[in-house]
Amino acid sequence: MSVAGLAMAVDVIELLTQRFSANSEPDGPPLVAPEHHLELARTLRDEFGYRIFGFVIASHHPATTKDGEKVDRVRVVYGLRTVGSHTRLASWQLEVDVGTSVPSLVGLFAGADWQEREQYDLVGIRFEGHPDLRRLMLPEDWKGHPLRKDYAIDTEVAPWR
Amino acid sequence: MSPYLRALIYSLVIITLLLTVTAWSIWFERKFSGRMQSRVGPTFYGPFGLLQPVVDGLKLLQKEFLIPESADRALFVLAPPLTVILALGTAAVVPFGSEVVAADLDVGVLYILALGSLTTVPVWIAGWASNNKYSLLGGMRAVAQGISYEIPLALAALVPVILAGSMSLTDIVNYQIQHGWFVFWPPGPGFLAFLFFLPASLAEANRIPFDIPEAESELIAGVTTEYTGMGFGLLYLAEYLHTLIVSAVASALFFGGWDGPLLPGLHWMVAKTLVLFAGIFAIRWSLVRFRSDQLMGICWRYLVPIGLGLVMVSAIWVQLAKASAQ
Amino acid sequence: MEVEVASSAVSASREISANQRPVTNRSPAKTRRGDPYLDIAAYDPEADLMVLNLGPQHPSTHGVFRLKLYLDGELIVKAVPFCGYLHRGVEKLCEKLTYVQLVPIFDKNDYVSPMMNEQSLVMAFESLLGVEVPRRARYLRTLLAELQRIASHLLWFGAFAMDLGGALGGGSTLFMYCFRERELILDVFEELTGCRFHYNTHMIGGNRHDVPAGWAAKVHSAIDIIEHRLIEYENYLTTNRIYLDRTCGVGVVDADLAMELGITGPILRAAGIDHDLRRDAPYHAYDELEVRVTTDIAGDCEARTRVRLAEIRESVRLVRLMIDGIPEGPLGSRKPIKTNLAEKSERGHAYAAVESPRGELGIYVIGGGANRGASPYRLKIRSPSLHALSCLPYVLPGHVVSDAVAILGSVDPIMGEVDR
Repeated sequence: MSVAGLAMAVDVIELLTQRFSANSEPDGPPLVAPEHHLELARTLRDEFGYRIFGFVIASHHPATTKDGEKVDRVRVVYGLRTVGSHTRLASWQLEVDVGTSVPSLVGLFAGADWQEREQYDLVGIRFEGHPDLRRLMLPEDWKGHPLRKDYAIDTEVAPWR
Repeated sequence: MSPYLRALIYSLVIITLLLTVTAWSIWFERKFSGRMQSRVGPTFYGPFGLLQPVVDGLKLLQKEFLIPESADRALFVLAPPLTVILALGTAAVVPFGSEVVAADLDVGVLYILALGSLTTVPVWIAGWASNNKYSLLGGMRAVAQGISYEIPLALAALVPVILAGSMSLTDIVNYQIQHGWFVFWPPGPGFLAFLFFLPASLAEANRIPFDIPEAESELIAGVTTEYTGMGFGLLYLAEYLHTLIVSAVASALFFGGWDGPLLPGLHWMVAKTLVLFAGIFAIRWSLVRFRSDQLMGICWRYLVPIGLGLVMVSAIWVQLAKASAQ
Repeated sequence: MEVEVASSAVSASREISANQRPVTNRSPAKTRRGDPYLDIAAYDPEADLMVLNLGPQHPSTHGVFRLKLYLDGELIVKAVPFCGYLHRGVEKLCEKLTYVQLVPIFDKNDYVSPMMNEQSLVMAFESLLGVEVPRRARYLRTLLAELQRIASHLLWFGAFAMDLGGALGGGSTLFMYCFRERELILDVFEELTGCRFHYNTHMIGGNRHDVPAGWAAKVHSAIDIIEHRLIEYENYLTTNRIYLDRTCGVGVVDADLAMELGITGPILRAAGIDHDLRRDAPYHAYDELEVRVTTDIAGDCEARTRVRLAEIRESVRLVRLMIDGIPEGPLGSRKPIKTNLAEKSERGHAYAAVESPRGELGIYVIGGGANRGASPYRLKIRSPSLHALSCLPYVLPGHVVSDAVAILGSVDPIMGEVDR
């Protein structure tokens, strides 16, 4: 069965592991350090032809212990796609603490604008360099970020306004 | 009887009949458009849904006439009745039969053009007085469209005037009875003039494809956005009334009025008016609408120059006809 | 409804190819990009710009959607879209419900083409859980997807005509006709699944409803009628001078802008890029079919209309190819589901994308969530309409208000999918 899954082209995997020292994750896209994020996106777009902006997904991973303290982590997965025949996806992950911001791809892809705004809205991760980071789906004055794991659907913040 | 009494009676009769026909034109439009769209239209009230206009009128009457707080009260209330009055005023000179006319003015065509251009003003008043951006946009577009399309309308109406030699509608119809309907004879200018008269009058009456002032998909309800109840009813009624009178004027100017092969009379005029009226509905329910700048472009770049040419051609024709008659 | 279809017209139309209307010699797309971050105060202190809300309640904003326009007279200077009025928290709900429970919820995302939502969702889950889908189910899914594409594009065509012409006018005539044809397909779906909308016919590992007797004949007759009448509707609108004036050169989205914004589907194809997931990243049974992709180079509203109409014809052709040859075999690779907690997964990532009528509809799922792994940990819907809508701040400036409605119509956003 063929599914447009997350299988990446060999040259992209090489690029990620060798030039950008990504750690391959056992069950997901390779993990890249946030410093390399912009350069990686630029290389993929200009040299490898991944020109269609795919997706941005942020997920909240609460309370893993790191250096003895409990910190919440946020993982962001980016995806880009090639154009035309035999289209492939390239995706990679970034992992930061809650409160740290991730470089924004708005300078390279205009589509990152709204996608990053949506992830900020729902998960609360900030994107550095984003020209207009405000909520997209929820009203401007909403408190809290719903897709965090500590935001239960039936808290006092969540009810029908 | 005294001419004033006669004029009064005829006016009342014509007004009543026109308003009745307009009310039932709503029924006709909904049935006609329904059949065009492979559905049936109203069937619920009365046989074949014939009481639908009555029910619609009652519904609108019993609604509250809301005046927005920040609207200009006097103008807001003034605009709907003014549209109806002006539309009805245009009907005063239309001859429905050889003696059936409320006021047979010598300058009938000029009177129609003048009042027709005045009908743009209440639309604009409604747009301004509503204090609503959509209405304002609609009103501005109505003014631009109205004043632009008066020129092709006047030029097209001038062709029968030149050919018949008189501005009185009764004289124009009498001339057509003797010499043939203007839409067929003289071949060319008459037909083209009719083809110009129709879109120009549709533009004056704000009907699709020229219904930008009430462009429902862009401007909610355009000029009529803030009107409820009978105010909305009057504005709607005025639009249908204006269209009906435009068809009556067109049949008088171009189609020979009450002339007909078997028994010339009132019924022919009514029949021609209704046929044109139905044709206008068919156009409405088939075409998408113009953008306002494209509309202006068509008027100023195509209709006005060609209209001027038509007037010249008809003047030349009249001179040639006179010369050959001598 | 019974309609006499001239058999000669039908047989002639079987020769219609996907690229029936060749691309005209209009110039390739080049967007005059507006600035979405334009500082209004600094724009022109003298110009008294009017702020007009093509607000959430509007006859033509295709759902609850607010478009704040800064107007200089009738010219749009800046356009700021606000979505989120239909946000129902589907992604949060995905963390609470189990894999089995999620399929009917997803019908409501892109509520105009529910088959696509369901298919992308179950494909993502099957990829994550490692479930095989038998050939009969894959074939049936392809067939249903193509039928759904026809239905969705018919609805779009009617709604677009209404945007151009108004609900009290010529637009509504075409709207009624397109909906009448769409009912034929919905009847076919009702035969199969029991529902006209929101079918819930896909399950993890296959399909739920099997093809009833006589279904193929009904599909044939529906397709024949649609194909025959599509020619009439096309002539009705696309050769009309008023329509051409309203759509040629209006709302140009060029290839670079589309790709940067992540816009796929008919908008990208109308800009000249030959990209279609059915052919380029085949799924279901598309690797057995040859999908012919139509492109246009002008990138304006008219080009997008042409591409979508060609897609209808192509889908008609594909349905005709497939309907008589559904392979035998089981319809699902799992036993019928008895409990909500039947499918469980460890932590893992999967992404599956289908070519929906609006573009690439992708579901990214991270497994291993609540309910002891029976729910996803995080699920993201990559909706094509959200990307398509983000082109508005770039495309609208320089146009007038009438064009804004036409552009919004031709971009074909479905707010359920934009907001989720």
